[in-house]
Amino acid sequence: MKRSSSRRGGYESRLSLRLWDFTGSALVNLFILIFLVSYLSPLTYMLVTAVKSSDQLSDAGAPILPADATTFFYDGRERRVYHVPFEDGERVLALVEPHTAYSMFIDPQDPQAGPIRWDGSYRRLEGVYHFSVHLENFTNLWESIDYGLLLKNTMIVVAVGEVGILVASIFVAYGFSRFRVPGGKFLFFLLIATIMIPDSITLVPTFFMYSKKILGWTGSFLPLIVPNLFGSAIYIFLLRQNFKSIPRDLDEAAMIDGAGPMRTLVSIILPQALPAVVTVGLLHFFNAWNELRMASLYLSTRQDLRTMPFSAQAFITYGFTPEVLQASAIVLMLIPVVVLFLAQRFFMQDMVVTGMEK
Amino acid sequence: MLVRRKKPSTYPAAEARPRHRSLAGYSARIGFLFILPWLIGFVLFKAVPILAALGFSFMEFDMLEPEKAHFIGLQNYATFLKDTNAGASLFGSIEVFLLAVPLQMFVALALAAIFASDRLKGKPILRTLFFMPSIIPAIAIFIILSGLTYPGSGWLTRLILDPLGLPPMSFGSLFLPVLSLWSIGPSFLIMLGAIQAVPKEIYEAARVDGAGPLNRFASITLPMVSPAIFFSLVINMISAFGGVALLDRGLPYSQSLSPMEGYIVYNMFSLQDLGYASALAWVMFLVVMAMTLLLFRSARYWVHFPEEEANEEI
Repeated sequence: MKRSSSRRGGYESRLSLRLWDFTGSALVNLFILIFLVSYLSPLTYMLVTAVKSSDQLSDAGAPILPADATTFFYDGRERRVYHVPFEDGERVLALVEPHTAYSMFIDPQDPQAGPIRWDGSYRRLEGVYHFSVHLENFTNLWESIDYGLLLKNTMIVVAVGEVGILVASIFVAYGFSRFRVPGGKFLFFLLIATIMIPDSITLVPTFFMYSKKILGWTGSFLPLIVPNLFGSAIYIFLLRQNFKSIPRDLDEAAMIDGAGPMRTLVSIILPQALPAVVTVGLLHFFNAWNELRMASLYLSTRQDLRTMPFSAQAFITYGFTPEVLQASAIVLMLIPVVVLFLAQRFFMQDMVVTGMEK
Repeated sequence: MLVRRKKPSTYPAAEARPRHRSLAGYSARIGFLFILPWLIGFVLFKAVPILAALGFSFMEFDMLEPEKAHFIGLQNYATFLKDTNAGASLFGSIEVFLLAVPLQMFVALALAAIFASDRLKGKPILRTLFFMPSIIPAIAIFIILSGLTYPGSGWLTRLILDPLGLPPMSFGSLFLPVLSLWSIGPSFLIMLGAIQAVPKEIYEAARVDGAGPLNRFASITLPMVSPAIFFSLVINMISAFGGVALLDRGLPYSQSLSPMEGYIVYNMFSLQDLGYASALAWVMFLVVMAMTLLLFRSARYWVHFPEEEANEEI
């Protein structure tokens, strides 16, 4: 059918074309799906492990999914249930008397029938499990960590820095995109250059500057907040690109109508640049929420000022069991991920980056 | 275009503003006021610290006894040349850049190219799901990967390596690749934005001329999105050298992708040797600047910057 279609055309050719089209779409979607599943597989591990019990993690025969060993209450105790092979097929039995060479079982369906003898080592038997989700890992975490304090500290650093960095970056981007400043090109070149400067170069002198000898900011939120109040080079760059793409006719009209520069910025530029402003705001939110370098340098002396990621570093040394640790990983990423999903309609939607040099 | 007004008095609202000698001067002053915050920040938190670091690098400077600091000339740099640990850390950083960045760029570009296809369904949610790992805090990744590679209950050994008969993989060998692949979010979205901005007519014209999909990608998509590729290359390079570009997931210095950065911090906080740490930082600064310059120079040959400056006014 396929062979003849190419020459004869008509119905058959259209059919094969559609078939080809469908196969192509299916392959693309399938490929992306497989890639996504493998890309996020460590997260699946985290989600599954966080709801397991610690018994399951120490049990080598336990299944991958969260499950508890099935037990049967008999004669005053819980007894584990096993798959027991007999000559006439496998039976599901509860272990009553374990011995090395043979063991006595009982049928959970019919406990009155009395014990059943099975020869062999019960340790080789496969246990019976049932699906079960444990949320006590989260309650454990909640009890051992003061989340209220951590959230409050993180929120202070994030919120103050966010407002400061947005206002400053918007002002500077507006200045660079709409005004003829002498030496503006050189200053913009400097701005791009600061994006490239690695943090470690400024680390030594700024640490000395913040220390007790000069400013005395160690042990306070100031080193985490104050630098943000002057804007960030990369955000200024992104916002300026966006502001420049907005036609100038409107703000010139507003200027002629007597609007000052501030008024023009607030009522003409910002409404049009909203997606870019939201994007920059979100980028800073994620950065500030996860920020660890400054926090670990300047807040280590103050237990009461610790932020979320900084105290999370200590989780590893608290001696939490693996499943509680995985639960803590969920808690750590929860807020940024929720914010990302809530804001996904705006996030980086209009990020068309053109030249870096101009 | 700002037009010089001859009679400002005919505009009553303009009268309210203070008089200036010229509109250009007024524009310059207002513009300068707007960029002033960044300028102050630049001087206080970039320029002064960088110069101070240069000064410190010529001194013997113990953090515990700053009063005893004294000038020792190029001695710190001479120590650097003899310090094999410093050399190893520097090359480690360069190695990370050379290994991780091409991988990130390739995956991000391939993903963006597939996402540009009309065949893919559910793009908004997929886009967010692929971006999501880029905002996971580093500590969470650390916890997840240590669990995943744990010999007994970790899935990596149990589900993949054991059935295939492969030896167990350590946390250390997995951390860097996963971290790199989980950081492609911004590059991916920037490249996707660029690919989607390419006018459809160009592809149609090429299709009519008989260009296949691969040919269209190589001769239309790649040149058209080269500015976005360049931008992502720059931001990935900055992260590889321990800077913060677009997204920071809060890696502690000691576990940073850049071994050089870790070594600088070790010298600074464990050995309290500010002088030597500053010298190391300056060496790293020079290396990064040299690579940046090279990258920007090379851009002339492969990046097609759009000709937008023709009607540029500023």
